[in-house]
Amino acid sequence: MQIDSQERDDVLLRRSAKGDEDAFAVLYRRHQASIYRFALRMTGNPWAAEEIVQDVFMTVVRDPKKYDAKRGTLGAFLYGVARNRVMKHRERMPRETSLEDKNGEVGEETLARITDHRTPAHWAEFDERREHVRAAVLELPVEFREAIVLCELEELSYEEAAKALDCPIGTIRSRLHRGRALLLAKLEILRDVPKRAGAGR
Amino acid sequence: MNCEEFAMAGLDLGGGKADGPLQQAAREHLLLCSHCASLHENWQALRGDLRELGAETSQAETPSRVEMRLRQEFRTKHKTMRSYRVAAFAGWGLAAAAVLLGTFSWVNWKIEKNRLVARSGSFPAANISKTARTNAAANRVAWAGPELGETLMASNDSGDFTLLPGTMPGTLDDAMVVRVQMQRSVLGTLGLTVNQERATDWIQVDLLVGDDGQPQAVRLPESTN
Repeated sequence: MQIDSQERDDVLLRRSAKGDEDAFAVLYRRHQASIYRFALRMTGNPWAAEEIVQDVFMTVVRDPKKYDAKRGTLGAFLYGVARNRVMKHRERMPRETSLEDKNGEVGEETLARITDHRTPAHWAEFDERREHVRAAVLELPVEFREAIVLCELEELSYEEAAKALDCPIGTIRSRLHRGRALLLAKLEILRDVPKRAGAGR
Repeated sequence: MNCEEFAMAGLDLGGGKADGPLQQAAREHLLLCSHCASLHENWQALRGDLRELGAETSQAETPSRVEMRLRQEFRTKHKTMRSYRVAAFAGWGLAAAAVLLGTFSWVNWKIEKNRLVARSGSFPAANISKTARTNAAANRVAWAGPELGETLMASNDSGDFTLLPGTMPGTLDDAMVVRVQMQRSVLGTLGLTVNQERATDWIQVDLLVGDDGQPQAVRLPESTN
C-alpha cells in the first residue's frame, strides 16, 4: 500500500492500529529522531535513550487509542510519553553514567581535530568546558532541564516547546528563566577559569 | 525595562525569540546597566556552549535495531489479533450452527409429535357400527383390573376404554367398537358405579364388543358428562 510522506499523523496512526506496518514505519521514522535526541539529552545516556524510544513506540503499537487527537499533536503526545519514561529512568538509575563517550568510535570531530592547527591544550579546555556544561544541564531539575533541552539544544520555539510539554508558553518562559539562572550559577566558576586562561595568551 | 524584566525576557536577545519592542527595550537596558550587560555576556557564552552541545547530537538517531524490534513486535501483535479474530469468528459461527441445528431438530420433533397426536386423535371418531379390528384398539384399553375389588368407574378423562368386570385382556384382539346411546343407569348393569343423581341422563358410550357379542370394555367419549 502506498503511503504519502505528507500523510497526517492521526491518519497514519489509525492505519497502523489496523495493522498497516508501513504506516507505522512512516510514523516511527518521522518522530524517532526528535524523541531520541530529547531522551539522550535528558538522560545523557544513549542506551537509556534507545530504551526510552522503544518504550514510547511500543505504546503506539500496543495501545494506539491512548492518543487523543483532540488533546494535541502526536508529537506532543510522544514527548509526553518520553518525559514519563525519562522520569522512570531517573528513579531507577539516578546515578547511571554512560560509557559510550569513552568507548565511542573515531568520529568526524576527532578527525577534524587531528587536522586542526589549534593546540591540544585548547582542545582539552574545550572538552572540559563542554563536559561541565553537559554535567550542569544533567544536574538541572527535570522541569528546567526539559525547557533548556527543547529551547536551547533542540532550538524549538517557545510555542513548539509549550506544545511538546503540553503547558502554557508562560510556563516555558519561566522555567527557561530559572533554568538559565541555575545553569549560570553552576557554571560561574567554569566561566572564570577559561577567561583567565585566555587572558594569559 | 528594569533588571528583573531583563532577566525574564532580555536573555533572548540574539536568540531570535524575543518580540520586537521587547528586544528594543532590552538593548536600551543593556546600555544603561552593567550588571545586566555582564549577565547577558555570560549567557551568550553559555548559549554558545549549549548550541555546541546540541550540535554534537543534532544528527543523532535511534539505532536501526530499535526499528527492527518494534516492527517485530508490531507483526506479532497484529498476527495475534488476527488469529484471535479468526478464532472468535469460528467460535461464533459454530455456536450459531449449533443453535440452528437445535432449533431445526426441535421444530421437526414438534411437527412429528403433532402429527402423531392428530393421527391417534382421529381413531375414536369412528362412527357407530364401524369396526376397528386393530390391535391398536385393544392396546388403548386401560388395564384397570377388578382383581383388587376397587370400584370401577367409566373414565371419560382420557378417552381410554375401561374393562368391565370379568373381562380378560387377551380376549379383546378381535373386538369391535360400537357407539350406542343409553341411560347412564345402564352402566350399572355392566358392573360400573353410576352417579345416582344423573342416572336418567342419556349418554353416548363406546362399547368394545367381543366375538361373543358381549361388551368387554366401555369408554365415555369426551363430550359426554
